[in-house]
Amino acid sequence: MNAFEFTHEPLEPAALSAALADPAAGGFAAFEGRVRNQNDGRVVSRLEYEAFEELAQGEGERIVAEALRRHGALRARCVHRLGALAVGEIAVWVGVVAAHRAEAFSACRQIINEIKHRLPIWKKEYFADGDSGWVNCTHCAEAARVPDFDYSRQLVLPEIGTAGQQRLAQSTVIVIGAGGLGCAVLSGLAGAGIGTIVIVDDDVVDPANLHRQPLYTPDDVGRQKAGAAAARLAAYNPTIRLRPMPVRLTAANAKEIVVLGDVVVDCSDNFATKFLVNDAAVLSGRPAVLASVYQYEGQLQVVRADARGSCLRCQWPEATRDGLVGNCTESGVLPPVPAVLGSLQAMEVLKLLLDLPGQLRDEVLLVDLLELGQRRLSAPRARECNDRCARIRSVDAAAPTPELEIALPLAEAAAQGYRIIDIRNPEECAQSPLALGGHESIPLPRLLDAASTLDPRLRYLLVCAHGIRSRAAAEQLRAGGSGNVWSLQGGLARQG
Amino acid sequence: MARVHLRYYALLREQAGRQAETVETAAQTPEALYAELATRHGFRLAQSQLKVAVNASFTDWTCALADGDEVVFIPPVAGG
Repeated sequence: MNAFEFTHEPLEPAALSAALADPAAGGFAAFEGRVRNQNDGRVVSRLEYEAFEELAQGEGERIVAEALRRHGALRARCVHRLGALAVGEIAVWVGVVAAHRAEAFSACRQIINEIKHRLPIWKKEYFADGDSGWVNCTHCAEAARVPDFDYSRQLVLPEIGTAGQQRLAQSTVIVIGAGGLGCAVLSGLAGAGIGTIVIVDDDVVDPANLHRQPLYTPDDVGRQKAGAAAARLAAYNPTIRLRPMPVRLTAANAKEIVVLGDVVVDCSDNFATKFLVNDAAVLSGRPAVLASVYQYEGQLQVVRADARGSCLRCQWPEATRDGLVGNCTESGVLPPVPAVLGSLQAMEVLKLLLDLPGQLRDEVLLVDLLELGQRRLSAPRARECNDRCARIRSVDAAAPTPELEIALPLAEAAAQGYRIIDIRNPEECAQSPLALGGHESIPLPRLLDAASTLDPRLRYLLVCAHGIRSRAAAEQLRAGGSGNVWSLQGGLARQG
Repeated sequence: MARVHLRYYALLREQAGRQAETVETAAQTPEALYAELATRHGFRLAQSQLKVAVNASFTDWTCALADGDEVVFIPPVAGG
């Protein structure tokens, strides 16, 4: 069975789709082109198709193979009728099976567009008034041929030109986190023509991400961000390579991942990852571009440990614990804030790769989008770090204490004797009360102030929405000498 | 007494309820100044979790403050 065929017999969609059955396929998309009863305002009574079959056969198979490769679909078939057809009959049938519907739809669309555009097929239209005429099908292509991705508007910049463009095409950039910052960074870098972009994110798309993460659509909810972003960007700029890595950056893999690129961009939403990126970049001698946002503000820093510049640890020797200050989930964020900071990150990456002037170095940029203020604060390299960074010995330092967290259904934890403390703020508790009974409600700030009132003979389990604040609180309480405090892993969100 | 200009970011801006202010203080160092302001505004972040910049440069907590200095306390932010 050829992937592309001509036939003089009527097409039978049921048999054609049955032949594409595949247990690995979660999606099947088909397109049927049918004979219409009118064209250009004239009533059509029937059609006749003719093709240059020797040429069209090989070209048709190439079209199918290209679409499969480009969209990652499993199998596809296209059959085109020749000879005389009546109104309502199927002239061309395309079917695609793929793991998911998105690949099936897009591959199917590409095949029919290319068939109509590239194949030497002609049709003769017979009109009701007795007239008739030949139409070359390339004239009725639904979509014009995809033009090449055109970099002319940046090639004309005197600092870039073809040499600069080539440098970008030969570069690899690692983007850690494909959220609000990540979407802006990825779009900017993909548009500029960075040759290879590695997208590291183990998260899946959540409906609450969409307002500030325009690489995803509601259809992507539940899909892995790395894969969804890569698919979207591959369609946007077919001239670059996208490499999705749906893994979490950990102390075990951070160095391996960071060395894959010329630059690493931190777009994560937590301190543990930010310090991990910083540390791995410093140890691997790679530049890192870091940013964070908080409500209407952001911070930007370019770590050039590869060029004796300062790093995150020059200002913050100890990794900051997550949960002490809010993230986007807890504190809220407006879409343009990560978009602005992410665009600044993409700009710094391009400045670095193209050796443009004005690079942020040994500085922290503070941006306030409410008052439109920005400050460049000088942040020099720590004194003790002469030739080598003296503060980072390995990337393990950022790893959280494992035995701090407990993953148990709350009722079972209570049955095991843990005193449950709900540390969420009163508004959160009112909105989704903890249906447990026997627990205490002590908002985080009050708990930290009242640490001395914890009974050292009891075991306490702290609970919050996602287990981030409770872990930070437990760490802080332990650091203050309360060894009998644990955190509920994943928080109430993971209790089901 | 020194007159210093202060700017607040992120969590500190929320807790102080303002973006900027000018204060008269007897504090000689950023450390003493933060302790004074923490009491006044109810700042919950410990000094160890913050950085301080004086006149647009990160500095240590024990440098001497002068009349007219601009002091920025910078909380860490992690949102992405």
